[in-house]
Amino acid sequence: MARVLIADDASFMRQMIREIIEPEGHEVVGEATNGIEAVDLYKELQPDLVTMDIVMPKRSGIDAVKTILAETPTACVVMCSALGQETLVMEALQAGARDFIVKPFKPDSVIATLKKVLEKADD
Amino acid sequence: MGLDMAKYRRIFLEEAADHLAEISRAMLDLEKEMASVEAIDTIFRMAHSIKSMAASLGYDPVADLSHRMEDRMEGVRSAGRVRDPAELALLFRSLEALEAMVAAVSDEQDLLPADEALLAELAAESPADTIEPDPVGGEPKKARS
Repeated sequence: MARVLIADDASFMRQMIREIIEPEGHEVVGEATNGIEAVDLYKELQPDLVTMDIVMPKRSGIDAVKTILAETPTACVVMCSALGQETLVMEALQAGARDFIVKPFKPDSVIATLKKVLEKADD
Repeated sequence: MGLDMAKYRRIFLEEAADHLAEISRAMLDLEKEMASVEAIDTIFRMAHSIKSMAASLGYDPVADLSHRMEDRMEGVRSAGRVRDPAELALLFRSLEALEAMVAAVSDEQDLLPADEALLAELAAESPADTIEPDPVGGEPKKARS
């Protein structure tokens, strides 16, 4: 099971992801509310996986994922996107994000995506 | 697995109230400075956040209207400013409609569909988008039909 950092400016979304993944045995080790916090908490906590919202204040999720991956190319980052953000998702994937989950979150889909990404990371 | 939707409804109402207040403040800032990057970005992000929460809870009219506001603000962000007082007035009307919808959720009333005319107005190309200066000078011309 994985140590997870959740980055999202909306408490609603952070709680929802936490409630979906904790029963699967994952541990939420930190929550970031903007892109700057996401980068700082990644360095501090070294989580196994980050769920990264795209639209956040101070620094976007796209900028944050690029910074994290520039410093830690093996970092596992899964983007959280909404409909209409396909271009931004592609940019994040090209920057090295492993996958993405789409809002509104479907618990089974979130769990399956994280499982797939973590299994690939273990290979 | 099932999520406690009553809990998320409460969180939605708390966060939506905060977001609507932030949108209201940002729009007042835009009244003073139509190119306020911070105000434009705030309205975009708050509308985006309300859309995501509403969609998660199945509040489709709220999601539809906030989605259109988000899209409109993306255009404003690209343009670097609110076009004119008419566009600002449209944003204020959208905010009022969104506030009424969130109040309906809070009062556990049935959510009526978003006003089609308002949605259409938000989605419409602004007149400024359809006019571009003639590169060699002279009269402006239609850029797109």
